[in-house]
Amino acid sequence: MNVSRRGFLKISGAVAAVSGLGVSLTPATAHAKELKIKYTKETTTICPYCAVGCSIIVSARDGKVINTEGDPDSPINKGALCSKGGSIYQMLDNKNRLTKPLYRKPFSSKWEEVEWEWALDKIAENVKKSRDASFKKTNAKGEVVNRTEGIASVGSAALDNEECFTYQKFVRALGLIYVEHQARICHSSTVPALAESFGRGAMTNHWIDLKNSDVILIMGANPASNHPISFKWIQEAVDKRGARIICVDPRFTQSASKAHLYAPLRSGTDIAFLGGMIKYILDNKLFFEEYVKLYTNASFLVNPAFKLPGDNKGVFSGLTNGKYEKDTWSYQTDGAGVIRKDPSMQDPNCVFQLLKKHYSRYTPETVSKITGTPVDKLIDVYKLYGSTGKPDKAGVELYAMGWTQHTVGVQNIRTMAIIQLLLGNIGIAGGGVAAMRGEGNVQGSTDHGLLYHIWPGYLATPTASLATLKAYNEKNTPTTKEKDSLNWWKNKPKYVASFLRSMYGTNMTLEDAYSTMPKLDDGQNCSWLMIWDQMYKEKFTGFFAWGMNPACSGAHSNKVRKALTKLDWMVNVNLYDNETGSFWRTPGIDPKKVKTEVFMLPCAASAEKEGSITNSGRWHQWRYKAVNPPGEAMPDGDIMSEILFRLQDLYAKKGGSHKDAITKLTWPYGKMVGKHFHYDPRKVAAEINGVFLEDKKIENPTKKGEFKEFKKGDLVPTFAWLQDDGSTSSCCWVYCGSVTDKGILGMRRNTADPTGLGLHPEWSWSWPVNRRILYNGASVDPNGKAWDSTRTVISWNGEKWVGDVPDGVGDPGKGRPPFIMKSDGVASLFGPGLADGPFPEHYEPLECPVEKNLMSAQKHNPAIRRFDKPGIGSDIDVYSNVESCDPRFPFVCSTYRLSEHWQTGLMTRWCPWLAEMQPGNFVEMSLELAKEKGIQNGDKCIVRSARGEVEAVAMVTPRFKPFIINDNPVHQVGMPWHFGWITTKDRPYNDNDKKAEVFTHGDAANHLVPTIGDANTTIPESKAFMVNVVKKGVK
Amino acid sequence: MTEKIKLYDDSKCTACRGCQLACKQWNALKASQTENLGTYQNPPSLSPNTFLLIHYQDYVDKKGDVKWLFRKEACMHCTDAACVTVCPSGALHYNKDTRTVGLDHEKCIGCKECVAACPFEIPRWDAKTDKVYKCDMCESRITNGMDPACVKACPTGALSWGLKDKMLAKAEKRVKDLGGDAATYGDKYCGGTHFMYVLKGKPNIYADIHRNPGVPWSVTFWKGLLKPLSLLGVGGVLGGAFLHYMIHGPKTPNEGTGVEEKKGGE
Amino acid sequence: MKKGYVQVTDSYERILHWMLAISCLLLCVTGLGMMFQTFNFVGAFFGGLKSLKLVHNFTGLVFAVSLALVIRMWWKEAGVFVFPEDLDWCMAAGGYLWHVDKVPETGKYNPGQKAFFLVVAGGGILMILTGLVMWFPTALPVGLVQWMYPLHALGFVAIFAFFFIHLYLGTIGNPGSVDAMITGWMDKSVLTMLHPKWVKEMEHEGKLVVYGEEKKDDAHGHHE
Repeated sequence: MNVSRRGFLKISGAVAAVSGLGVSLTPATAHAKELKIKYTKETTTICPYCAVGCSIIVSARDGKVINTEGDPDSPINKGALCSKGGSIYQMLDNKNRLTKPLYRKPFSSKWEEVEWEWALDKIAENVKKSRDASFKKTNAKGEVVNRTEGIASVGSAALDNEECFTYQKFVRALGLIYVEHQARICHSSTVPALAESFGRGAMTNHWIDLKNSDVILIMGANPASNHPISFKWIQEAVDKRGARIICVDPRFTQSASKAHLYAPLRSGTDIAFLGGMIKYILDNKLFFEEYVKLYTNASFLVNPAFKLPGDNKGVFSGLTNGKYEKDTWSYQTDGAGVIRKDPSMQDPNCVFQLLKKHYSRYTPETVSKITGTPVDKLIDVYKLYGSTGKPDKAGVELYAMGWTQHTVGVQNIRTMAIIQLLLGNIGIAGGGVAAMRGEGNVQGSTDHGLLYHIWPGYLATPTASLATLKAYNEKNTPTTKEKDSLNWWKNKPKYVASFLRSMYGTNMTLEDAYSTMPKLDDGQNCSWLMIWDQMYKEKFTGFFAWGMNPACSGAHSNKVRKALTKLDWMVNVNLYDNETGSFWRTPGIDPKKVKTEVFMLPCAASAEKEGSITNSGRWHQWRYKAVNPPGEAMPDGDIMSEILFRLQDLYAKKGGSHKDAITKLTWPYGKMVGKHFHYDPRKVAAEINGVFLEDKKIENPTKKGEFKEFKKGDLVPTFAWLQDDGSTSSCCWVYCGSVTDKGILGMRRNTADPTGLGLHPEWSWSWPVNRRILYNGASVDPNGKAWDSTRTVISWNGEKWVGDVPDGVGDPGKGRPPFIMKSDGVASLFGPGLADGPFPEHYEPLECPVEKNLMSAQKHNPAIRRFDKPGIGSDIDVYSNVESCDPRFPFVCSTYRLSEHWQTGLMTRWCPWLAEMQPGNFVEMSLELAKEKGIQNGDKCIVRSARGEVEAVAMVTPRFKPFIINDNPVHQVGMPWHFGWITTKDRPYNDNDKKAEVFTHGDAANHLVPTIGDANTTIPESKAFMVNVVKKGVK
Repeated sequence: MTEKIKLYDDSKCTACRGCQLACKQWNALKASQTENLGTYQNPPSLSPNTFLLIHYQDYVDKKGDVKWLFRKEACMHCTDAACVTVCPSGALHYNKDTRTVGLDHEKCIGCKECVAACPFEIPRWDAKTDKVYKCDMCESRITNGMDPACVKACPTGALSWGLKDKMLAKAEKRVKDLGGDAATYGDKYCGGTHFMYVLKGKPNIYADIHRNPGVPWSVTFWKGLLKPLSLLGVGGVLGGAFLHYMIHGPKTPNEGTGVEEKKGGE
Repeated sequence: MKKGYVQVTDSYERILHWMLAISCLLLCVTGLGMMFQTFNFVGAFFGGLKSLKLVHNFTGLVFAVSLALVIRMWWKEAGVFVFPEDLDWCMAAGGYLWHVDKVPETGKYNPGQKAFFLVVAGGGILMILTGLVMWFPTALPVGLVQWMYPLHALGFVAIFAFFFIHLYLGTIGNPGSVDAMITGWMDKSVLTMLHPKWVKEMEHEGKLVVYGEEKKDDAHGHHE
């Protein structure tokens, strides 16, 4: 593919005045026609959609966008853009963008335009009122908690990193504990699964690295549709190195259309499928023995009292009242407390043998009966993927919601992590686990702690029993007796102290700052499903839906929408009118009965402000402002600052609950320009990186005897230099090193690729410390020699490591195990840190089409919490019959995404080009099912679950086939979840309402999804539940 | 050799529709209201504001394996373009360097002859503007050293653009590498098309593909035969009249007799 | 007009003829402007090629109306071949191509003129029908529409060829003929040379009107 190179944009984002897209004004041919992009100003931005992080050039003239197209210099997309990335022109130039703050009076049926000043004043008053009324200094046990229980917040992966941090700062200053966002319902399963397995909870390699693979397994995702540019690199692997693609999916998808091998499987049976692969790999000795022995806990000896499900009625030992007591999930230790090991991996209690024993039950015949995959297809997949166990072969697995959104979500991912470790695919080029994040900055928003259970940098939110900072550090800082293990998390106190400084600066001591921060009760779950449950039970008076659309994205849309009606006030910040902001006029809800006061604040889109976002590959890319936001829309940073200042004013003047938390918050993030605050993301970026708060002389952590002197205000070079005594401040230690004296490294545009592996080390910056392939210490043997000399990620040149930034390796021969974020230094095949088992075990989805679990006597994941049981959910939380099959809902259903729309469709449905391509809900079903129900392709249908129903057009296709599950046919259907009523034609409109240029059909598929979540993260199970489908008009 | 070809390789297409959208973006085309009719394909067909359309087709082969076939439909940019041949105003024209078929809307008079003439049924007429629309291979881009917008947007290399010889060689090699039923499409029609396909299946399994397209007989007859003959004819008539006058002379009667008198020689 | 001139046409005929002729000419010229790109410059006289098309289309309507009236007016006399005299005339090529002592006498219009009438009538109808389809091509199947264009061109070629002969023979080829369509009066001797039988018929029926010798009953006798 021809690309036209540009190469003139400098690091500071300076713009070229004259030639468009690097083209000289002297036409290339004598018959050249005039280019419309002549004489435009160009800026680069990063696409806000799927998290591949494609770079886009926005050409503008006189403040108006003229053209948007791919940036040919970006090593990630090289000028290519999928339909969503290509459409951002219509996000920036769209008459339906909100331009003025809107206000909905209680009981009103329409929006009114109001002034910013008035809206912000009123919001601050509301916040103070709700906060003062619901603030708790201590909990029932008398422990200090300092939290606000009456306000919740969701949002947002759509914010830039800088805004994410300051928003986190804002809500935690308010004392909120119910703080969630897209990451919970998207990849929350990934973090514990990968962290437990390898030490960090993010995609291990990066997008371009896919080109280095030999076998690409696509299971639990559909990247051709949802991360389209990833296929650039997958195709290159096929073209240049003859890579093979395997696709395992209930439905023959766009990814399957390019696969060399496709195998169908019933939604919710991935552990069975992969368990069979583990058995195959072990039985046929396809595993990479040396790697397993040295770099995993395969040789660790486990407590003999530990019981596997095969010997324990389908559950692990220690299950008590729906929760696992994990005493037996421990290792045997010697007198000194060091873990006992068997390097020969033969001891029946060693992890390796236990693994073998556990998966010996996953025979191809049993797996086939559970998954519906024909046995020969299973073996084909196992054989092909298992071939990457050789040291000179690399296999990568790509997954997304197909694995995360299950009651066994975390364990789904763990199964693959085990496979990758057995095959030696972690830390190598072309290997790894590609946890494909789905939002432009959901990686960044997770990194910056917008979830209830973590502070920025994956520090645990403190629980009430940890009354002091010391107690917190003791509980949360891992220790190890493994003498060679680096145990990097031992540095946690430094990161905690630096984070606390970034909240309150030197306005408080570290201890006071710790005490001021809101705390959870021990074991308290404030996650997404709980928020809606609490809201439904009228526990919140106020709510922020900042850059999020839960009325369409939350499981059980009816519950979410009804819950919203219980609020006194809500603040919704977004680009367009949406189903959440306008929940009070949802078709079926009578506005005259809804008391909620709603503020809809118009904000700037991604190219209308500056800031950074972090893609799924952890690349931290800066994006620039191309044009002003429309009308009176403001950048989110400005908005949150204005609300905070008003609150600081109110609390300073009038006093109130725990006012120091708010008045002493530092906020040096911009300046007042006239009456408005102009937030400066570059200042925030510097603080995220970290600065010295005082002059200090520090010993070089990697060179003993060498000292460096820092002055107050100096940037901290890397997180190795952060201090636990409060002399450094850093919002998020993981990003330490992202800003240096040279500038914000995320702005770099050098495309050089010295290793040829696609690392591009000087294009932007990646965390941690610009490392592109995590765990690359495992890509070499203990002597420092690469397992595969043709794809050398790091190599020792005699003095130091060259190639990628080394991870985990000490000097060659030193024997330091490379998984430094794991306390024992090795990766975990046996993962006792999880709530529902150290090994993945197949359990059926809560709503399932079978009477029994063929694998064991335990039908469902025993550690999940059902909402239909007393004390948890409420009457609205219903499931189809769980104990046995429900004749009302005989078909398995899964929700998924399309290329052309994104998440709830809030941004894409208002974009005419995208709505034209995908104008409405459809339900894909097999020819056999359609025949049974008398449905023809194109017929309007109703899809119904125990919780609600949606209308969809039937798409009858051979790409779905009925599964034979234990000799019985089971049908599966699937629907996209992108649609919502706000862009439909036949709904009531007021005169001042925005009307879509191209209408869409259908409401949220999440009406169907149950309120049941994973045992570890409570991510809702949207990928496997039971429905019925009928032709519209037929019962 | 400055002729260029745009190659579409369906074996690499994932139907991300980056191309369909890039075309809309670059040409500032409006979106139309559509309905889902049981397929991902939308709009359902080319139109005055849709120059490029990705086709989606479920297909079950002889072995019972399911395939999902994608095909990019757009102007084929024929070497012997019937539309250019019939266009009265020269709005449709060959680009002098690349030999792709451009469309100058200033010159289009809306006669719609190209609509009837095109063997691939590409040009679409808009009643509001009374003009015809089709892909022009992003003429302003290609004459300024840039790729067509669709080619640039494509992530996998399903679309590529380059000098004719190289692209034909590339297509040939790809067909060989793919094996099976893989074949090229377009290079044998209308003198060879500047937008051509490598298809991994036989062309006739692709729904809506034009099976044996060629410049219509009516166009060849008219422009190739009738038009030159008409010039001859007109010349003949004019010349004949002139000669007749010279040789035979006008018919004039004798004064009063009403009998013709010869004037002029034999 | 001079003494001894005979009236051959009335004003209705002449007006219709020129309506037809002018619209036809205009159609030919505007059509030529669209048929050959070399003649696109013709559009400049009409305010652009798009206007040219509009003029062509609407003039076609005028032509259609005129043609209908002309056919109605002349089909009996000019559209019907009478044998054997028409055939004899043809065999002698009307005396136009080689010397003929005595040109066979035909009725009011000789076969050459009849042929022209038929070509204009038939060709004209063809042009109108094909032209209408070309004006609204999206209404019919493409395979049918495709043939409208060559047929339209064919019709033009035929009409133009015959028109030119008509022009030649109506002006310099037969001096004194053109008066028939301008003033309506012709030199009797020329008329007698060209249409002896008709002159005899008119004299016999007493319909011959001679300038300076108007008879009592106005003999126009051309329209029914």
